[in-house]
Amino acid sequence: MNGPASLWSAVVSVPLAIGTGVYAVAVLDRTLAAWVEGRPWSMSDALLGPLRSAALRYLQARSSTERPDREAWALAPALLGALAAVALASIPLGAWFAVADIPEGIVLFGAAMAMVMVAVFLHGWSPNSALPLIGGYRFIALALSYEMPLALVLIAAALPAESLSVGAIIQSQAEMWNVVRQPLGLPIYLVPALGLAFWGPLAFPDAVDLAGGTAAEVSGAGRLVWSIARAAVLFAVAAMGAAVFLGGWLGPVLPGPVWMAVKTVALLVVLLAAGHLIGRVRLERFVVLAWAILIPLALVDVFVSGTLALLTR
Amino acid sequence: MSRMLARLARGAYVPVFPIVGSGGRSAAQDLRLSGRLRIHDSPRPAQVLLIVGRLPYPLLRPALRVHDQISHPRLTVCWHQNGSNDHVSVRLFPTAVDVGPGEDVVDAICEHHADLLSGARASEAPIQPDVPASPWRGVGPYGQGGKGMAGGRPYGRPLPERAPARDGLELDELTLQIGPFFPALPPGLMVDLRVQGDVIQEARVRENPFAGGGGGAFARALMEPVSLAELENLRARHHLRWLARALRLQGLDALASRALRLAVAAEPAQLTRVRRLVRWLERSRTVSLALRGVCHLPASSLDAHAGPVSRASGIGSDARSDDPEYRSLGFEPIVQSEGDAWARWQQRMREAVQALELADRAGNRTVGPREQVEGPRGALTTHGAEASGPLLRGLSDWLPGLDWGDAMAAIVSLDLDLEEMASSPNDGAAAEGYTG
Repeated sequence: MNGPASLWSAVVSVPLAIGTGVYAVAVLDRTLAAWVEGRPWSMSDALLGPLRSAALRYLQARSSTERPDREAWALAPALLGALAAVALASIPLGAWFAVADIPEGIVLFGAAMAMVMVAVFLHGWSPNSALPLIGGYRFIALALSYEMPLALVLIAAALPAESLSVGAIIQSQAEMWNVVRQPLGLPIYLVPALGLAFWGPLAFPDAVDLAGGTAAEVSGAGRLVWSIARAAVLFAVAAMGAAVFLGGWLGPVLPGPVWMAVKTVALLVVLLAAGHLIGRVRLERFVVLAWAILIPLALVDVFVSGTLALLTR
Repeated sequence: MSRMLARLARGAYVPVFPIVGSGGRSAAQDLRLSGRLRIHDSPRPAQVLLIVGRLPYPLLRPALRVHDQISHPRLTVCWHQNGSNDHVSVRLFPTAVDVGPGEDVVDAICEHHADLLSGARASEAPIQPDVPASPWRGVGPYGQGGKGMAGGRPYGRPLPERAPARDGLELDELTLQIGPFFPALPPGLMVDLRVQGDVIQEARVRENPFAGGGGGAFARALMEPVSLAELENLRARHHLRWLARALRLQGLDALASRALRLAVAAEPAQLTRVRRLVRWLERSRTVSLALRGVCHLPASSLDAHAGPVSRASGIGSDARSDDPEYRSLGFEPIVQSEGDAWARWQQRMREAVQALELADRAGNRTVGPREQVEGPRGALTTHGAEASGPLLRGLSDWLPGLDWGDAMAAIVSLDLDLEEMASSPNDGAAAEGYTG
């Protein structure tokens, strides 16, 4: 889409998608927590709980610390939310509906995800407090370990399509989804996806052992926006995973956007369940895992996918 | 609009930051199972400061500092769950809500929090003046006094200095104190740390703020006969409570709540469920990968009577081995050789299962009075838990070189209880220098 129509679709659909996605993350997370804990699922808790918590946070006063960098502290959650919005905008929801299905879609997505590092470090550094700062350090130490495998598996997915456009990558899966054609791609993708949303076992910067890390000093609306932005990043990486590896909107009978939603929710369930079932990963071991296993495997994925793309041309 | 939001917010989990005094640890932990409270790891997102049990004198000033970090609108609740009438806390927090032993603390918190949201109750004012704790000392506009922006002690806190790190690079060194209410540490533990990035370079444990405590059925068995089944049920509950705390630190909240539910009512009827949880944690490797090799303690570095910690390092000492009642049940101590954090996890999980099995077969056997009883943290004598003190002092040697997450996991794996340690005349004071 171009021109005013494109602008309107961006203004309306991206916030709508973020709102729906963040709400879905919150509901699914509460549902999975109840299942793992072995307590009965409560509809009121799962469906209304996120709204109640949001209202409580909105009414809570914002805390302050001694000599914080106020502007940077306010900017960090907004930046993270904006990056999630940019990432989501690059993902078409249906064959006829895309906010910014630009020819370099996965490059835009990768660039937005690389900038997450800036938002997280800013959030840790600006309160002028030790534990958030250590949380920020952690993300800086890991950022490249997330970005390299993520970029490589996205490039591998783009090879059969001979295009960097997410829409073209989806259409190239009409005969066979990339999850089958490139079996290494999705499992590798899910690891940095979890890390970029700093969720579950890879919640390094906001971990429990740091009393919340970069969010340890945050309350009120600032905390609400940070939580929303973090969930939005998780939703964005799940949606991109559904588009690039599970055929996006492609599927029989149901309309394209419904298929897209079903596949995104399926990946969200996997990511959120990992958060409840897999414990904290050691930082050093993760770096070794990323550089000694994930990146070499991602390179194999690129070479094999490239060779197959050339042979089947 | 704000009235509508307030009505909606009234149904939310009440955000609580608990601080734990004498005898309050288990009660504070059980609140995690309440379907109406959310226990936070930091005071900032909380709106209710909950003081559980009596705070010893050295913890009063830190408690005031925590109070002033709770976000507005806020309130304080003093819960005397074990009947201890804490006059000092009441005087320090004059507008606090007092909840006695017979009262439902969750109801009280929710009721007063609703008043706070509706405006019927005023938010508590800061107790301490909003001024720097120490005078400004430095050269630059932000108190820096060394090279460039580094060095100096603005307002009493040292700015980072550069020092060589383990890989030869020069990195900033942060100096900070954690505790006494840091949720990853046992209540009352205060540690001064020097860190470079995420890595601990130096750790100094401060003096134990508790003056005494402990007791319970295990200490009673030193004086009088106590049901063996009761002791073993309590041991299983203790280890499962510890497991819940340790799982939380691994970021596994839901599994931690599952373990805590089992702990609250642990008895032989729950054996199958406890076995299933332990088997899943041992086989799934979701936790073990992060704990293997962390804080390896060779047997030579440990006291023989430090209970599961010693047995996880290959020391077969267990006071139950010499007890005829336990021998008649075929008791054999569980011993491992690895001695790392994961071995200590496995030790406690297996001992929880073993304790329920013993309780199941115990019939009406009794234990005591004895000169030495095997408590869940090691041998208890009439002089207290003498083996725990060296574990606390050992932290200064064991933590340097570990990254932050591993250091916290190492501390949790030792299952320290400063209140119990204070009951031992040799270990009441663990280190030097606490100034309150």
